[in-house]
Amino acid sequence: MSILSMCQWLQDTDIGTSIRESIWVFPIIEGTHVLALSISVGLLMVSDLRLMGYIMKRRPVSEVYEQIKPWMFTGFAIMTITGIFLFWCQAVKAYNSIFFKTKIVLLVVAALNAIAFERGIYRKVGQWDNALVPPTEARVAGWASLILWAAIITCGRTMAYTF
Amino acid sequence: MSALTPFFQWCDDTIISQAIRNSRVAFPIIENFHLFALTVLLGSLVVLCLRQFGLIYKAQPISEVARALRPWNLWGLAVMLVSGILLFLSEAMKCFGNTSFRVKMLFLFAALLFQFTVYSRIVKNEGASAPVGGKIAAGVALCLWFGVGLAGRAIGFLG
Repeated sequence: MSILSMCQWLQDTDIGTSIRESIWVFPIIEGTHVLALSISVGLLMVSDLRLMGYIMKRRPVSEVYEQIKPWMFTGFAIMTITGIFLFWCQAVKAYNSIFFKTKIVLLVVAALNAIAFERGIYRKVGQWDNALVPPTEARVAGWASLILWAAIITCGRTMAYTF
Repeated sequence: MSALTPFFQWCDDTIISQAIRNSRVAFPIIENFHLFALTVLLGSLVVLCLRQFGLIYKAQPISEVARALRPWNLWGLAVMLVSGILLFLSEAMKCFGNTSFRVKMLFLFAALLFQFTVYSRIVKNEGASAPVGGKIAAGVALCLWFGVGLAGRAIGFLG
């Protein structure tokens, strides 16, 4: 079974069909997906800006990052769930969209960037927690994260124009 | 509303409106910036409200968190307004008959009014914890701004 036929099967399921053909459910899921950007990427932005040395410089990096983390993950959980349902009901169009494919690749890169940060320079955060401007490796992780997420938002918005 | 028709028609006819309409990529590019700005504007508001609810950054006074977020919030708002005006110009007549657009404008004016007359003054004077009034103000600000976002998204869906 090819990926394309799996996509076809997925969007032909009862759930896929009923979301796609509903008057209210699709806009509600889509609207939630857009507004939850503020809780996911919006909060991530604050911790990225701290890593870049642009915001809350007098507060420890770990404080700014750790306290926002559970809320940020809540935001990303909402994004993931609504995103899965959006994909579910129009899987074939998504599969055929270069913007969707690019978005998925960028999401993986953003996740790898976050893992590399957590397992790399952040392990030694005790040494630079109070630095007004964190070390280069942390700043690069912050910049990479913001740029990747801007690109992910762009792909997400643009793919909808091509549907 | 008919008294406003000439104004909307004029907006629809400006050189900028026509240029955006005649370009295939202008509208999507502007709308992407509108979305980036939404993320920054609402994101910074959510952080401040979480602080007022006492859920994060308790070691920082509320006024300090507000001051740190203020430039980001204001830049987000500026980009939001400029990109929003451009999007509006390119389809002013479509917006004119659009109920969601009217609802959005009501929420927008209420949100701006509340933020600059009440909310920003309240957070400026709050210290270690927000009184009930401050928490209510945070809730109102959240509802108004998310109302703007929701009605904005509905413009394309509902009409």
